[in-house]
Amino acid sequence: MSRWFGYDQRSAAILVFPVVAVLLAVAAFPILYSFWISLHDIVLTRPLRRPFVWFENYGRVFEDPRFWVAVWRTTVYTVVTVVVTTILAVLVALLLNETFPGQRVLSALLLLPWATPSVVNGLMWKWIYDPNYGLLNGLLLQAGLIERYRVWLGDPDLTLLLVANAATWKQMPLAALLLIVTMKAIPDDLYRAAKVDGATVFQRFVHITLPALRPGLMLVLVYETMLSIRHFDLFLIMTQGGPDDATFVMSWLVYVETFRSLRFGTGAAMAYILAMATFLLSWAFIRFLGKRL
Amino acid sequence: MDGTGLPLSRRQVASLLAGGATLAAAGAHAQARGTVTFIGWSAAVDQVRAHITAFERATGIRVNYENFPWAQFRTALVTRLVGNAPIDVSWVSDAWLPEFAEAGWLADINDIPDLMRYNAEAAAYCTQSMTYRGRQYGLAYYGDHMSFMVNTDILRRAGISAPPTTWDEVIEQSLRIKQQNISEFPLLLSLAADTWLIEFVSALTFSFGGRFVDDAGAAVMQDANRGAVRAAAFLRDAIHRHRVLSPGAVETGEINGLRAFGTGAHAFAIVPTYRIRALNDPSQSPAAGNIRIALMPRGGPQGTNETCGWIRFYGMTPGAKNDRARRANAVRFMEFFGGRDTEGNYSLQRLLLTDLGLPFCTTPLASDPAVQEFWTRWAGGGEVIAQQSALARKKDVISPWFGEWVETSNQVWQAVCLNRAEPAAAMQTAATRWTALQRAFR
Amino acid sequence: MALRSGPPLAPRIGRGLLLALFSALFVLYVAGPVGWLVSSSLQTEAQITAVPPNWLPPDPTFANFEAIFTAADREVTYETRRQGDPATGGFLPSGAANLLPSLWNSLTVGLWVAVLNLLLSLTAAYAIAVIDFRGRRSVLYTVLATRVIPDIALVVPLFLVVRNLGLINSLGALVVTYLAVTVPFTIFILISYFEGIPRDLYRAARIDGCGHWGALRHVYLPLSLPALVASLTFAFLTSWNEFVFALVLTQNVAAQTLPIVISGFIMDFTTSFSFVNAAGVIAIVPPVLMAIVFQRYIVSGLTAGAVKG
Repeated sequence: MSRWFGYDQRSAAILVFPVVAVLLAVAAFPILYSFWISLHDIVLTRPLRRPFVWFENYGRVFEDPRFWVAVWRTTVYTVVTVVVTTILAVLVALLLNETFPGQRVLSALLLLPWATPSVVNGLMWKWIYDPNYGLLNGLLLQAGLIERYRVWLGDPDLTLLLVANAATWKQMPLAALLLIVTMKAIPDDLYRAAKVDGATVFQRFVHITLPALRPGLMLVLVYETMLSIRHFDLFLIMTQGGPDDATFVMSWLVYVETFRSLRFGTGAAMAYILAMATFLLSWAFIRFLGKRL
Repeated sequence: MDGTGLPLSRRQVASLLAGGATLAAAGAHAQARGTVTFIGWSAAVDQVRAHITAFERATGIRVNYENFPWAQFRTALVTRLVGNAPIDVSWVSDAWLPEFAEAGWLADINDIPDLMRYNAEAAAYCTQSMTYRGRQYGLAYYGDHMSFMVNTDILRRAGISAPPTTWDEVIEQSLRIKQQNISEFPLLLSLAADTWLIEFVSALTFSFGGRFVDDAGAAVMQDANRGAVRAAAFLRDAIHRHRVLSPGAVETGEINGLRAFGTGAHAFAIVPTYRIRALNDPSQSPAAGNIRIALMPRGGPQGTNETCGWIRFYGMTPGAKNDRARRANAVRFMEFFGGRDTEGNYSLQRLLLTDLGLPFCTTPLASDPAVQEFWTRWAGGGEVIAQQSALARKKDVISPWFGEWVETSNQVWQAVCLNRAEPAAAMQTAATRWTALQRAFR
Repeated sequence: MALRSGPPLAPRIGRGLLLALFSALFVLYVAGPVGWLVSSSLQTEAQITAVPPNWLPPDPTFANFEAIFTAADREVTYETRRQGDPATGGFLPSGAANLLPSLWNSLTVGLWVAVLNLLLSLTAAYAIAVIDFRGRRSVLYTVLATRVIPDIALVVPLFLVVRNLGLINSLGALVVTYLAVTVPFTIFILISYFEGIPRDLYRAARIDGCGHWGALRHVYLPLSLPALVASLTFAFLTSWNEFVFALVLTQNVAAQTLPIVISGFIMDFTTSFSFVNAAGVIAIVPPVLMAIVFQRYIVSGLTAGAVKG
């Protein structure tokens, strides 16, 4: 018994070591290093002075009005993206779960947004939203819904939603895929029995499909939330935090502070706060999940 | 090597040394081949490339040329400088000089006579703009200022006989044009939050007789009597009250503004002067022949015809200067491009003017007949330009914290244009940030 | 659920119509934007700037692609220079010359990441799924937890570390970074798949004298083809599409990957729209092809046991 114990433990250690090493090097160590940096006042345009300032940077961050704006923008953005993505994913999953001619082709098409690089996604939607030549303007004009071309991404009331739309487009496929799999696990007998009992389509959906989807939905919600909080590419390509501060999300704040203002100390503090917040959020989600499942 | 030594463990120091040794070896390799690494933004690309070909033929030194969009140039350059990229020479904007000098990213050239001798043939304004704390950091690439341009065809069609001389007249005339359905937004301004924005708003503020900062360096932008607040209020009213300026201006970068003005859809615009070359060129712009420069309109009770001027110059990195071979190559490069070429001509400066309209800083060229002919052909005469040039001030916010402050400034100006902030409050925000950064720097 | 004579006709037609409608909407939503991208890339600048827009290219041309691919070959002298202001049209950013090298970089990095990822996650997933060792839970949670940290939070310290090591612009640094980014997800896929493989097969192999390596090679590996393909594809695609780390860790032409060069196109306002769209098509074709070719495996590999709760 102890021989197996020793052998198992050693083998496991060897097998797991490379992964752990890489992750420690690229994920764990930088986070610790980042914390260390955040305790110093480091401004790259002033390379010779980098005093140790304890938690002053964190104080500065919490007092910075941009920080709270970023928190609010990120929250709105995440909620909108997650809700819309999930709803669309459910609809798409319902559609693709049916059997009909052409369903295989449609399922293949589903992966198209997922395979699109985020940079191209940003470019594509930016071109669609273009105020002078864009597709959205053209469509709405020809449909008679607007009288003349208008500005989309430059409208501070709309721009966050427009970026969220681009993000939803790309994220929906994976969510739909997860839901389809869950749906396929629902036994047909349940539906047949319900039909015999005279249940309508809607009733079947609410009483059979939805409850069975719960674990899948939870997974989708958690995954999508974690994903949306970290979004950066779209903001860099499409709006750069603007106009004014309409799309000034947390990841953009970290980027601006670090690579434009070159304040690595406060930038690291912001990054660390963001990382801790996401950790707490995911921990809370999992606790919540654990209770509900 | 870079002096930004962050707290490193011993293991990291060892790696750093190993990495440094590799870099040094690579540097030695580059020496043997004779290369210069030059970074610029995406303007005059073909002109620079052509001149590089000539340089390579004349000197046998190879040039690694990379360019990035101007709108993100500062970030791109800074990221590379911070990442210890082997850049030798780079284009730099006068606005970044104090910052880069303090950060140790630019090398002064006071001890390089081969370059300093060109000051004798350069406009004083230009040379001063490249000097910080008594040391000069480069040779000029070009110098220019913001101009107020009008589309004479639209004015004629609207029955307006003379271009406006004050910003109130601009609004008046714009309303007339708008009422006659000749143009929906007669006034065009590029107010996107990119690298140009500070120069646009500076020009506007100066024309309102205002300043952002007084001579002692204290913020005065928030002072309601110092012009910045009035200029901001003017913008807000132009967009939201009179509706002669499109709300899309906040998304319009300078280049898109140029294209839009060139289609002939607008009557008035603030545009860098050199763009007149493209605007009046039939092969580049539908409105060719109709664009003329007028003096910057005066704004408010203390208005002047002043505008914002700038220069961009060639800067050398300390990495290049401290290495004998790289320094020699870099100096030859800077001379060929910022001074005279090997045949003794200011060929690039001339080429930049005739192809793109970029004004130069070299005084001998001004008497060149081709130059006079150029302004006549493309701008309808050079008198107004000369007049305006004499009234051009450099940005008063140039300082070691410019890069950081300008982010706040851009944001508040956009907020005013979007009607999300009151002009006075917005300028106050910018002023507070200026003062805070100033204090932190000391 | 084939249609047989039995259920009444009207609801069947109703269902058919509904399905057709939703299918059409689905196709429009998923493929429409990409279609517009492709259509724009086949038009000239003049056609693209038409109001209202040309939905389909009136005269499809590959000129944009040609211009991009031949950009590197042009030698510019005083005689051959383009005289107009780049802002007014026909401007191809210098990034165009870097497109092919960056394609190559992306390919190299992608392949390395895919292969190394497989090696790393196979072994670790086997250990976690099959071996009951001390610390099994912690390792799994740690692996998954690293993906919770937002990339931008990692970028700052990673940049400094890589810079201090002098490894900026090295493809190796990118590969290692991408491994860390992709391994958690592929481990998750493989673990889920391994858990679906009957334990008896494993026990039989062990009784036959196989050690863990043997069990992995003879039992789990052959039975996991869909999951392996899914992991390879996922790792390659993620590394091909990745942007933030490449943005910060690569700064020169020699090392930049495709998304960075493309973003240079997009963010350079002097670039003509037609070129921007063409560059987008160039960037989207390889990953989409991969996804379509391996679609079957991706779906079955990703989803077997994915939602066991």
